[in-house]
Amino acid sequence: MRARDNPFSTDRVLRVRYRLDGTTWPELMSRLAALDYRAAIVGPHGSGKTTLLEDVAPRIAALGYRVKMLLLNENHPSFERDLLTRFYAELHPRDIILFDGAEQLGTLAWQLFRFKTRRAVGLIITTHSPGRLATLIQCRTSPELLGRIACEILGSETTAPEIESLFTRNRGNLREALRELYDVYAAQ
Amino acid sequence: MKGFNLTGDKKEFLPGEEVTVTASWNLDTSPKSVEARLFWFTRGKGAEDVNVIETKRLDAPRAIDTRPVRFVLPEAPYSFSGKLISLIWAIELVAAPAGEAERFELTLSPTGQEIVLGQPPVSPAP
Repeated sequence: MRARDNPFSTDRVLRVRYRLDGTTWPELMSRLAALDYRAAIVGPHGSGKTTLLEDVAPRIAALGYRVKMLLLNENHPSFERDLLTRFYAELHPRDIILFDGAEQLGTLAWQLFRFKTRRAVGLIITTHSPGRLATLIQCRTSPELLGRIACEILGSETTAPEIESLFTRNRGNLREALRELYDVYAAQ
Repeated sequence: MKGFNLTGDKKEFLPGEEVTVTASWNLDTSPKSVEARLFWFTRGKGAEDVNVIETKRLDAPRAIDTRPVRFVLPEAPYSFSGKLISLIWAIELVAAPAGEAERFELTLSPTGQEIVLGQPPVSPAP
């Protein structure tokens, strides 16, 4: 199958948005406000933290706050010094910082970051473990969730094969499981 | 019908060939600006790559309008597909402030057809 026709191509997978489980967007945003917009989205690799953070952004902006995004990951585990200096200098009291990958900062760097960003009205992070900020939501995955996402991508009438084993093989990491499904379809 | 439309007589082109498409739109109010962009993008397993080659601003757009848009295609890169990545050429019509867009995909290659990796090459177009 040509890459452009693969149903699990990156652009198609990225169109799948976060599915709240056991709560609603109004409830989540109320909890965020109750936490003074200082909270963590917690979960393992491939559980949808980044997607959820992206989906929070327009809701924050709709409240009249300015959204400032920061990203670290295993490929880019630290900020350039100049970038952070400019970032701190430009912070505004209406800013809410959305920081994806906060676990990449060591303890001291994290403490310094919190101090330097105290002028911002809010700080929402994604992280693998709880503890850095109050937990807003814990992202979890399941074979059922993977199956629902695969069905959404493939069409509601279709079921991707071997969802249970796919989920187990990828240790619950939905991003990696969907990449494996890409390879399955690429081989056809 | 409300919205944007991009149409063209053909979709397969040689390097350096001119592309002409017709851009039309039917809106309730005049858009602030309308741009046509010639670009290529990748699709597949990894991160997407995009490269805008040329942008043409369509002056003084009316609420209901039709404009011809012409681009001369570069020599490369060619349109191709493998199992991991496809490179796709397109012209996109983008209106501000709504940000609405319409896309017209095309093929650029010496054969006029998308190059499919792992398959024997097709004879060049005459």
